[in-house]
Amino acid sequence: MKEIKVGVAGNPNSGKSTLINAIAGTHLRVGNWPGVTVEKKTATLEYKGLIINLVDLPGTYSLSPYSLEEKIARDFLIKEKPDIVIDIIDSTNLERNLYLTLQLLELEIPVILVLNMWDEVEKKGYKIHTDLLESILGIKVVPTVATKKKGIDKLLEVIKEYSENLEAWKPKRISYGSEIEEAIYKIIENLKNSSYKSLLKIYPARWLALKLLEKDSLLLEETGLKDYEDPAQEIRKNILKDISEDLESHLADIRYGIAHGITKQVLERPSKAGADLTEKIDKILLNRFFGLIVFVIMMWFVFKITFDFSTPYCDWLDEFFSGPVTQLAIAGLKEINAPQWIISLVTDGIIGGVGAVLTFTPLIAVILFLLTFLEGTGYMARAAFLMDRIMHALGLHGKSFIPLILGFGCNVPCIYATRILENETDRQLTAIIAPLITCGARLPVYVAFIGAFFALHSAVTLLSIYLLSIIMTCILGIILRKTIYKGETPVFIMELPPYRIPTFRDLMIHTWLKLKHFLIKAGTFILAMSVIIWFLLNFPQGSTPENSYMGKISNAISPIFKPLGFGNWESASALITGIIAKELVIDTMAQIYISEAEESEEKIQLAESFKNSLLSLFSAVKDSVVNVITHPEITSVTPEEAEKSIIAGLRKTFNPLTAYAFMVFVLIYFPCIVTGIAMKLEFGSWKPFIIAALSEFTLAWITAFIIYQGGKLLGLGA
Amino acid sequence: MKLSDLKPGTQAVIKKINLSGSLKRRLMDMGVVPNEIIVVEKIAPLGDPIEINIKNYKLSIRKSEAEKIEVEVKS
Repeated sequence: MKEIKVGVAGNPNSGKSTLINAIAGTHLRVGNWPGVTVEKKTATLEYKGLIINLVDLPGTYSLSPYSLEEKIARDFLIKEKPDIVIDIIDSTNLERNLYLTLQLLELEIPVILVLNMWDEVEKKGYKIHTDLLESILGIKVVPTVATKKKGIDKLLEVIKEYSENLEAWKPKRISYGSEIEEAIYKIIENLKNSSYKSLLKIYPARWLALKLLEKDSLLLEETGLKDYEDPAQEIRKNILKDISEDLESHLADIRYGIAHGITKQVLERPSKAGADLTEKIDKILLNRFFGLIVFVIMMWFVFKITFDFSTPYCDWLDEFFSGPVTQLAIAGLKEINAPQWIISLVTDGIIGGVGAVLTFTPLIAVILFLLTFLEGTGYMARAAFLMDRIMHALGLHGKSFIPLILGFGCNVPCIYATRILENETDRQLTAIIAPLITCGARLPVYVAFIGAFFALHSAVTLLSIYLLSIIMTCILGIILRKTIYKGETPVFIMELPPYRIPTFRDLMIHTWLKLKHFLIKAGTFILAMSVIIWFLLNFPQGSTPENSYMGKISNAISPIFKPLGFGNWESASALITGIIAKELVIDTMAQIYISEAEESEEKIQLAESFKNSLLSLFSAVKDSVVNVITHPEITSVTPEEAEKSIIAGLRKTFNPLTAYAFMVFVLIYFPCIVTGIAMKLEFGSWKPFIIAALSEFTLAWITAFIIYQGGKLLGLGA
Repeated sequence: MKLSDLKPGTQAVIKKINLSGSLKRRLMDMGVVPNEIIVVEKIAPLGDPIEINIKNYKLSIRKSEAEKIEVEVKS
């Protein structure tokens, strides 16, 4: 069967991914472009005996060499040489979208122009003469409504038609004016007779000549054409004499001129209509007074839905794994007379590890869904617009606000939320500082310590920790921007797209594709970590906590914490296990301080246990809805009463000063493993996690040191 | 005058972009090219960035960039 490769290009907000979903649906696979975190979607489908390999290119406004997305798109187009490029356009904004089309045509690859959002064009009373557009550009034009799957068959038919004679569909040459055309001609002729002629086999000649005129740094570097003296110097001088800018800008100007000309010819617009819906909505959402109020309410809802809706499911999964699943495993293993250590490995190490991953699934699913929704509606861009002033001061982009605010619930979804940032540096920087936002899992630690030492000033103490969290996030952000992630603060040139309602199907596809990625990848890592930790805690066999490998390691590293006031092995091992998940800090302490841990040997029948679990699933479903609707406050991060027995134990080891230093240390010291793995998955390397771990550990140590030593000087902590 | 000094709602024509390199190309790619009609639509509640209307769509840029764009009020 015949096979063709089709690249899908288009501006952001042109409905590109909706169209891809409509074409490929369940055939879609999601990965990353090699070495970067930009998402790559591919799909293989069959249409009337033709195998179509679709590759979705990053959404771009241009093919200039300046942004990562644009580099990926153009590298693919030039090096992988797709047979056809589908260019998806927002038909309500023909002119700006045609600018990219013109650049695609320069590549001499057959282009199919998809006029998406055709229904909006009709609703606005616009008229686009598609046949005229086809004859001007010499390519096929297909109107579509991706959200309603309209025009998809036609598009597939055109792909089929193109594939039968690709050569015939090479685009027409669009003249960039006599001077430029002459320069292009001269350069090509000269290259043909030069030592660089082999380049013409790789690069489209016209495109190469244009890039030479533009002095495209990336290409000059790549091809070794840096020292090439093109023969068009005279013409170049002539052109530059008349204009007050460089040739690169001049060519951008020419392309826009052509796009403007074509639009004028093919588009009929009714004489100025009234304010459209987007303008009306923005009057409120971007209003000088209401804008920020609405924003706060929106963020509060996002936060609330993320945590309150998903927590009952997370809790249920947690119980399901520690309850029925564990019991089933124990029963099965006992049946085959497995030794105690294998039972412990399977239940604590393996089931515990898999359970830990799955417990996060509802949380991540909900946040991915909400973010895709906000992005799809167009509100995300507004949020960035409203918050940029604040984030700019920290050397970040307005959009960084959203991942950071989510951190107060849990740091893991933060890492996923950094996807909304376009620039890789911003993305990594935001992800690295995100663990300093104090998450819900750290709350039990504060609650226990406050209960033991600061019961009279509990609110103030807790507030001071939250404030410190925000301050530390800012400090680390500024430090990293000045050192490792050096460079100017990201530019803020962002489209505010029209408000649109994303389709539910689209949201589900996006959420599922990303979630699948997390489940498979994170599952493997976390399972391995969980088994290692289990080993450290349980070996040598039959040892007490202090004598286990973990206890020995803790003893060995505890001197590091001496200058901070808590140089004992109990604190050290609590901190080590806290790396897996912050709430384990308190769990570990409980295990150590509560000597006779009640081994609750509940003899529940397996069938009974599964039945109970099923029943509690129903109540989880009910709770998730009730939580969101009935309680105005965020219910899932409300502190619980700390156990009295821990309080007594803590009072033996800590005093108020060392307790506060310890709380601050727990706040800052390390991103938890799941966050770390999310970083590795998102950025394709361990580097951001390592930077986060080292910088945060250092920051925590210094801060706790200042608090403890400073406190001692002031005569506190007796 | 500078784009950053333009009052919201006033129509103006872009005269010159006093920037270079990627920043300039980025703006031009987004349609901020000389002789184009531009309107400042809104200023963000905290004073920065601003929202402009150009080529029939909405774009937001910071004041620091808007300062580098020379415009002339359309009479």
